[in-house]
Amino acid sequence: MSGSEAAAAAASKGGVQYSKIAEIKGPLVIVDDVENAAFDELVEVETRDGEKRLGKVLEVGNGKAIVQVFEGTTGLSVSGTNAKFVGKVMEMPVSREVLGRVFDGLGRPKDGLPDPIADRFIDINGEPMNPEQREYPKDFIQTGVSVIDGMITLVRGQKLPIFSGSGMSHNLLAAQIARQAAVVGTDDEFAVVFAAIGVQYSEAEYFKRSLEESGALKRSVLFLNLADDPAIERIITPRVALTVAEYLAFDLGMHVLVILTDMTNYAEALREISAAREEVPGRKGYPGYLYTDLSTIYERAGKLVGKKGSVTQVPILSMPSDDITHPIPDLTGYITEGQIVLGRDLFRQGVYPPVNILMSLSRLMKDGIGEGSTREDHGEISNQNYDAYSRAQEVRALAGIVGKAGLTEIDLKYMGVGDIFEKEFLSQSIDENRNVEETLSILWKVVSQLPKNELTKVKDKYMDQYYQGTD
Amino acid sequence: MTASGPVAQLEQTIDKIIRQTEEEILSGMESAAGQSSQALDDAIPALEQEYEKIIADGRKEADKISRQIVGSADLEVRNRQLLALEDAVDGVFVRALEEVAAADRNGADYAALMRSLLAEAVSVLGSSDVVVHASAQDRDAVQGILSSDYAGAELAPEPLGCMGGVRIQSKDGAMTFDNTLDARIERLKPLIRKGIASKFGAGN
Repeated sequence: MSGSEAAAAAASKGGVQYSKIAEIKGPLVIVDDVENAAFDELVEVETRDGEKRLGKVLEVGNGKAIVQVFEGTTGLSVSGTNAKFVGKVMEMPVSREVLGRVFDGLGRPKDGLPDPIADRFIDINGEPMNPEQREYPKDFIQTGVSVIDGMITLVRGQKLPIFSGSGMSHNLLAAQIARQAAVVGTDDEFAVVFAAIGVQYSEAEYFKRSLEESGALKRSVLFLNLADDPAIERIITPRVALTVAEYLAFDLGMHVLVILTDMTNYAEALREISAAREEVPGRKGYPGYLYTDLSTIYERAGKLVGKKGSVTQVPILSMPSDDITHPIPDLTGYITEGQIVLGRDLFRQGVYPPVNILMSLSRLMKDGIGEGSTREDHGEISNQNYDAYSRAQEVRALAGIVGKAGLTEIDLKYMGVGDIFEKEFLSQSIDENRNVEETLSILWKVVSQLPKNELTKVKDKYMDQYYQGTD
Repeated sequence: MTASGPVAQLEQTIDKIIRQTEEEILSGMESAAGQSSQALDDAIPALEQEYEKIIADGRKEADKISRQIVGSADLEVRNRQLLALEDAVDGVFVRALEEVAAADRNGADYAALMRSLLAEAVSVLGSSDVVVHASAQDRDAVQGILSSDYAGAELAPEPLGCMGGVRIQSKDGAMTFDNTLDARIERLKPLIRKGIASKFGAGN
């Protein structure tokens, strides 16, 4: 039997519908007298009015099945509700046609077009990547955002989260990255999978319009779960998005950038289910398995030996009360390969993007920059700027105590470096796409405010070539 | 001293002042011309730089607009293709369903099909102690199969609105399995769509 015949045989069988609903609790429906249900099995819950909602089996045993209903249980009653166990896990239909399409949080078309003609139907939970088959990420992705490309460089196959706070400009940054991101120096195809999780309608419209108007929609796939969509749907949104990303990357050989915003809403949904299941709560009420659960999402990034494509992840999370020790950023930081932290102070000063580089880091940057990738002086000039900006912050703190008059001449120069760093390097308009050469040139301009003898992290040969100061 | 003496002296002084002023003006003009020329020379590289920046920005903007136009045009074309394909697939589907509905129900093949659909449904529920629902056209055939093969099963009094096949339900009404042709086609629809689309040369 061929693959498609087997799929047809499995699909034709369907499943049994049960009408004994024991209890409805929060997002969960407990079905009685169930035989042969499987963990994670897809369930169609049919209301008295014939409306169908999707769910999945969370637990089975003692003739009962606990079903998590993605679209919420509002309007369901114990009598008159039927649960049909479909006999398969939730699958996403995928093909090249998904590019340029807009889907809802469960992967259903939201753009008025028909369901894509599927090339394959893939289990949304994905298959774990064989660690032995993973290839170390080392190829540069240009985002066109100076602070990221210059100092927190993203590489193909990396997972690099953005830690933001409520009301900050992370969504603008996410949309800018989605519009501008590109792989340079290769003809390989590039795609963006954008999953908006629990965002406001206006934000979702902004993402969509922004990609449409820049012409980037044709290489993008959008999944939009809105704030007024059922919270439980948010559990599925990142998974369908990653399923599509893996297909584009490993079946079609594309380099795929996945942007997931906002993962805090995902974790909130997870907490809601955990509370409904009466599980023992962990820190701040999140389930004890939050780390494991987040890793099932974040670990779906990477490159595989012998496969052309890659999946790169930029999950965005807003830290409640800007608290970086909150369980969500804390556990995310354990799994991912660095972080981009947005700073409230910079945001208040009107700096965009307000990236606090002193708290940010890309652990894989060193392998994605330098000769052959970006430019030979990239690493050194980045370190020099990091050093100079860090000193500028110290001098600013000192000036706050002793006043500017108490500073030495070199201290004042460092203060100037801090200002020019924020005004010319960090600040960028939302439609300004800087290439890596432009970015490095600004980095040199910033440190060229200092005398040559202060630049201890760059080689003389680079100094001769790129230093723009008069000293 | 004649009366013309002071006049001549005054004229001389005036001439001198005029000459001096003239010289000052000329020297000022020369220096201004020199400064202007110098300023112009100095401005040329900055102007050239500015000119190049404007040209580069213009190219970037043109490139952006071109990508935008081409991108949305590509998408528009693709979306129209998708809609046209969907219309064609739907057309084939409707036609196929009409043919299925009008299929000959008196042959041995159809009886075998009903028998196998019933057997499959009973095996999924795990019991033959069931109520069987069938369409008005299939009721006689189903009744025949039930009498011969499934003693515990009974045929529901109300006919089922479907093209063919059976829907069975446990006698307490707790479990139902839908094995009608309509339900099977619905379950297989994504795969059938793919098959039809490939006939039109679409899909991977």
